[in-house]
Formats: sequence, C-alpha cells, structure tokens
Amino acid sequence: MSEDNSPLVIGFLCNWCSYAGADMAGTSRQAYPPNIRIMRVPCSGRVDPLLIVKCFEEGADAVLVAGCHPGDCHYTEGNYHGRRRFALLRDLLDFMGIEKERFRIEWISASEGKRFAKVVSEFTDEMTKLGPRKVG
Amino acid sequence: MGEDFTQQIRDKAKELLENGAVECVIGYETGSDGVSARPAFIYDAAEVDRLAFDNTCTHNLVKYLLDKKGKSTAVVVKGCDSRALNLLLSERQIQRDKVYVIGVVCPGVVEWGWNKRSEQLQKRCNWCRQHTPVVSDFAVGEPITEEPPAEFADVAEMATKTAEDRATFWRDQAERCIRCYACRQACPGCYCIDCFVELLDPEWVGIRIAPDENWMWNTIRAYHLGGRCISCNECERVCPVNIPLSLLNRKLEQEVLDLFDYKAGMSEDAPAPLITFKKDENLGIAE
Ligand code: SF4
Ligand code: SF4
Ligand code: SF4
Ligand code: FES
Repeated sequence: MSEDNSPLVIGFLCNWCSYAGADMAGTSRQAYPPNIRIMRVPCSGRVDPLLIVKCFEEGADAVLVAGCHPGDCHYTEGNYHGRRRFALLRDLLDFMGIEKERFRIEWISASEGKRFAKVVSEFTDEMTKLGPRKVG
Repeated sequence: MGEDFTQQIRDKAKELLENGAVECVIGYETGSDGVSARPAFIYDAAEVDRLAFDNTCTHNLVKYLLDKKGKSTAVVVKGCDSRALNLLLSERQIQRDKVYVIGVVCPGVVEWGWNKRSEQLQKRCNWCRQHTPVVSDFAVGEPITEEPPAEFADVAEMATKTAEDRATFWRDQAERCIRCYACRQACPGCYCIDCFVELLDPEWVGIRIAPDENWMWNTIRAYHLGGRCISCNECERVCPVNIPLSLLNRKLEQEVLDLFDYKAGMSEDAPAPLITFKKDENLGIAE
C-alpha cells in the first residue's frame, strides 16, 4: 500500500506474450494505472510460488501473473504447469486470509495491448475497493 | 494388538536379519521412560526382542529410509505411514526392491508424553481412512474396511471466518513459530538437500525469527507438500509450540481432491498433480 492509499500491485509478465502486450499498450498510448510494478519473466511457468508469497510477505496488496494463452506458451507447457500451481496457491493464500481476488492470473497475448490496459485498470479498481491488506 | 503384533514383528525381523534379506530393521522400541515408543534400528538378529508395537508408536519411520538409500532395509509402517512409501517411490527416492515393508493394520495411536500415556486417540486417527497399509510385504493384523472419505470440518470452520480474522489467526500462529524446523525434519516429504528456508542466495526467508519471515516459512512449507502430504500429521505432533499445521495441510489436501481428484501416496505410479497437467482444464483461472 502506497502513501496515497492506492494499492500496490506486482505484475509478473511473461516475455513472449504479456510483456509484449504491455509494450503494445504503451506504444498505442493505452492508459493504465501506475500502481502496477512490472517484472519481466521468461514464462509464466517461471513464476515460482515463492515469488508470489514473497510479494505478499513484503506487503504487496495484489499480484498479477500474466502469460501466453493456453496452447501459445513459447515453451509449450509452462503456462499449463503454472495454472495448476497458481490455482492451488490461490486457495491456500485465501485460507490464510489473503483473499482470492488479490491474486489474479490472466492470459494476455502480444497483440492484446488494449486488453492488458483493461485488465490492469479493472484489477486496480477492484483492489482499491477491497482496500489495503489489514493484516500482514 | 500389543503382545501379538509385537511378537509377529520380532519373528519377521529375526527371519529377515538371519537370512540376510535386510541389513537393518527399522521399527519401534519402548523408550527410556518405560512407557512411550521411540524408533529402533536393529542390525542384529539377537536384538529383535527390543522391538515392540503399541498405541504409542507414532513416528513415521519411512522418513529414515531416506538415510538408507541403496541398502536393504525393513521398515515397520502403520496405515498412514505406508502412503509415504508410495510418495517416495514415485519421487524415485527409494527403491522398492531394497525395502521390505512390515505393514501393521493400525487401530490408532494415542496422545502421550514423557512417562505418560492417555487413552485419547491422536487427531490424525480421527480423520484416518487408511488403517490398513497401502503397501506391505508382510501384514500384521487383519485388513479392515475403511470408512467413507474424510470430511474436512476443521477446514470448513476456518473458512467461515472473515479474511481479516483468518489473516490474524495465521499471523498469530507465525508469531509463535520458533523456526526449529522440527516439522520439516519429521516429514517424509521434506527431503530437499537445500531447503528454500536455508538458502542464502536468493534469501527467500530472512534468518531473523520474526512474524513475516515465519509466515513465509509456514506458508511455503505447507505449499511444498501440496498434493504430496500423506496426512501422517507428524509435522504437527512434533511442533513444540503446537501450531495447527494440519489445518494448512488439510486445506491443501481438500483442494487437491477437488481440483485434481488426487490423493497422495495411494499408488506408486500416479503422477503428483503439480508435475503434470491437462490442457483443457481451467481450474477457475482466467475464465
Ligand atoms: S515445528 Fe512448529 S515451531 Fe518448529 S518450525 Fe515448524 S511450525 Fe515452527
Ligand atoms: S519445506 Fe520445501 S524446500 Fe524445505 S525441505 Fe520441505 S519441500 Fe524441501
Ligand atoms: S506435511 Fe505433515 S502430515 Fe503431511 S506428510 Fe509431512 S509430516 Fe506428514
Ligand atoms: S512463454 Fe508465455 S507463458 Fe510460457
């Protein structure tokens, strides 16, 4: 949570699709909230659950992982593996008091600049409404 | 149980050691308090009378097979413990032909402490749906029909609390953790040579014993057992500050059942849910 009470969102974007999608959002001048801090990763399958839990430990309000659409992963199956890990982790975190909504997984291709901006805007709005994490 | 089980285990151990089938028999013996069981490592047929089995035989001895790699070893397992054999076999940590399994049909173990034993069953035994070992070369006791699938009342109760209350609850638990890692040391699934919690580069968990770091440890420890935990509840039993680790483990167990229809340690061949996938599942993600 930043000083102006707007949520701190950490985004892990896969290099081949979603990061390029974010780039596309930039070059086509799609505005999206500056709350997101973007981390470029080779693949959504690279996002070790440790990274996500670490973000929450360090005080992030929300985490977004975005990768190629199923079937389009540059490494063929990274996102399939990621999907299972994230599904399970999201449930565990929710059980521990970090609401499901705070951990979002999206598939965003290199050409979906508009969608990237939309996802980040909606996610940030939703997190603003949910408010900061109260314990943690 | 008692006398009879003990005798059967001793006889079998004697036979295995005498004919050289195994180098060591890992079982239980009565500890120095004269009441409660402790692990026993028997290398000599003349010492088999140390072995005993009663309702204080709580340890999951499968853990010790990790130190016996490549050596022919017999091990005494209860129903719950036996699932750890399949876990370690499927993860290629032990070899089936090096392990001789003495499987005890377990009526349940009780709460005990130094020099005292209660009549109260341990938590795990109330949930248990695996009294009869899933793997065994020599069975002690008559196999029993298992009851229907476990319910998760404890997990459900936690889920009725608000997110804030849940966060506070786990924060409080983490505050009490002293990071002794006993939970890890007792767990058959925790055998990483370099556990994440002790890595210095990257330093995932700061060495400071404080709530944030402890929370990180407890969260990831549980997650690393997701789809692998075989419900022996040894981690919780050995925790010196009584953190209810079973709540986290069982939450994951329930989710793994729901999401992947999978139960750990039931077979040597079924791939663990997190090392495989289905292309057409969506698991509630990015619908
Ligand atoms: S056994 Fe208990 S106190 Fe020790 S590290 Fe595990 S949770 Fe913490
Ligand atoms: S907590 Fe994780 S990294 Fe550590 S020993 Fe257990 S499974 Fe391995
Ligand atoms: S996490 Fe606990 S209950 Fe699960 S296998 Fe390990 S020691 Fe047993
Ligand atoms: S490369 Fe994009 S998800 Fe694997």
